[in-house]
Amino acid sequence: MSTQITWKHLALWALFLGGMALLPMLVGKGTLRTIIFANYLAIFAMSWDVLSGRTGYISFGHPFLIGIGAYTTAILSYRFDVPVGISIPVAVIVTMAAGTLFFLPALRIKGTYFALVTLAFMELMYQLVQVIRPDLTGGTRGISGVQTLTRGAVNGYYLSLALMGVIAISLWAMMKTRLGTALSAIGMNEEAVEGSGLNTTKLKLFAFMVGAGVAGIGGAFYVHYLGSIAPRALFDINFLFTIIVAALIGGASTIIGPMAGAFFLTFLLEYLRPFLPGAERYFIYGSIALILYMYEPKGLYEILRKARERLTGANA
Amino acid sequence: MSQILIQGLLLSGLYALIAIGFTLIFSVGRVLNLAYGAYLMLGGYAYFWVVQTMHMPKLLGILVAIGVGVLAGLLKHRLIVKPLKSDPVAVEIATLILAVVIQAGVVLVFNDSAKIMHPIVNGVWRVGGATVTYNILTATIASWVILIGLYYFVRKTHVGRAISAVSMDVKGAAISGINPDRINMITWGLSGALGAIAGVFFASYTQLSPSMWVAPLIIAVAVVIVGGIGSIIGTLIVAHIIGFMEIISTTLVAAELRGVFTMLLIIVVLVMMPKGLFGRGEL
Repeated sequence: MSTQITWKHLALWALFLGGMALLPMLVGKGTLRTIIFANYLAIFAMSWDVLSGRTGYISFGHPFLIGIGAYTTAILSYRFDVPVGISIPVAVIVTMAAGTLFFLPALRIKGTYFALVTLAFMELMYQLVQVIRPDLTGGTRGISGVQTLTRGAVNGYYLSLALMGVIAISLWAMMKTRLGTALSAIGMNEEAVEGSGLNTTKLKLFAFMVGAGVAGIGGAFYVHYLGSIAPRALFDINFLFTIIVAALIGGASTIIGPMAGAFFLTFLLEYLRPFLPGAERYFIYGSIALILYMYEPKGLYEILRKARERLTGANA
Repeated sequence: MSQILIQGLLLSGLYALIAIGFTLIFSVGRVLNLAYGAYLMLGGYAYFWVVQTMHMPKLLGILVAIGVGVLAGLLKHRLIVKPLKSDPVAVEIATLILAVVIQAGVVLVFNDSAKIMHPIVNGVWRVGGATVTYNILTATIASWVILIGLYYFVRKTHVGRAISAVSMDVKGAAISGINPDRINMITWGLSGALGAIAGVFFASYTQLSPSMWVAPLIIAVAVVIVGGIGSIIGTLIVAHIIGFMEIISTTLVAAELRGVFTMLLIIVVLVMMPKGLFGRGEL
């Protein structure tokens, strides 16, 4: 893994984001709305990847974090008329605090048990949101009519693209530092990292805060794009499934992987729509995800990398 | 009071039945099968199809459900757990994806709407001011019979003791001439059958819907986590703790909060005592 940031990298990023920025001229509004969803899914998948893909602490409760961010800003702006400029930062901070809550179990348990606690967090939140203070959360029906930041597909697209670009590049730059290397090392062997004299607790806390922060940003902006929020749409196993599958199919522990996975999945769903309406799509989509995961748990990124190695005959 | 006692006992019996197949896999294979809830769903739908669509006898419906469950368990072991070499986290993710695939499959075949299943046994029994349907009574009795049967199966028969041995120490069992792979396969099939039976009763207790797999999965997870790595007795005790907790919170606090306490229990137990209330036991 090269740790140097070169001009080539920056040029590739510029090319990618520049190409994305030209898209509204090429495609229709419908496709654009699909890409907006893909952009947000990419943000969620990257956030999951920082928290889980790197450190190996698999979180099944990611919708919990996203939901906290989304609900905080929705309640603040809709019920208390707090300006969006304040409610979104507050939402991000609250989500990071919730990420710390996630962190407590990670001090004692890992692997399958950690995943289960986070799953329990999500279900707990789902049930609490409907029962506690329904006058604030809107209960089962949620809140609709939340202030939207942008009008029209094109503006919404640029906002989501900018968000995704900034998050992707910052995470990418962060992972290029020694800190990023240390985080990936935790995923490989936590004891060895600790043995090298690094404080794994601090490192993990950092990863959890960053992951939660990104989830909070994504969730908050997403709710201000949609303009509505409902518990069943957020705290749902299917939503969790989409996030995890996007990150894993693309390739965990990379930045480009979760992004590619998010686009791949969104377009898979969209392109299947004309041929297979309704549930069949999810069946095929899930099956493709399962087969890909069984074939190469490290995702498309790894498949492409191996293919390139074979073609160029590089050292295998 | 007697109401709480009776309802609690009945619900707990059902929960024990739901959890036992999950516990079995966890203690033998050391993997969490998140598609376990899907066994229940498959069992419920298979019974529904045989009895209410094809108008065949109920017993045949139960047998078909068991068959489907066994098949699902065996296929899952063969196609997912073995290729992933029982890596717990990978199995967890793969089975979660599988559960969503099965959910979509069920929608595909039976469509999205919830279905009401006729009770397996008709009639009600009035006792001490409480009304108990024969249906849930049957479920509870069946649950007890199955649990006691399983207990003796594991303790007394050769295969059962082999299952128990593999759950304690795979290498040791292999040295003693047990084929762990075969035992794993049997356990997965058995777990599928237990899940399918539980599914038939669970569906007749609530209703059939493509998302019905989540609730029983969470109950099973809660029982395994709170009880520690499963023993049959531990499963029974914890199922009663959770069942009574739900009934008490429903009748005395608020019906909407019934799931909240279960979740809190999972989180608190996992954080405070990661090995569960009864520690690591063998089957």
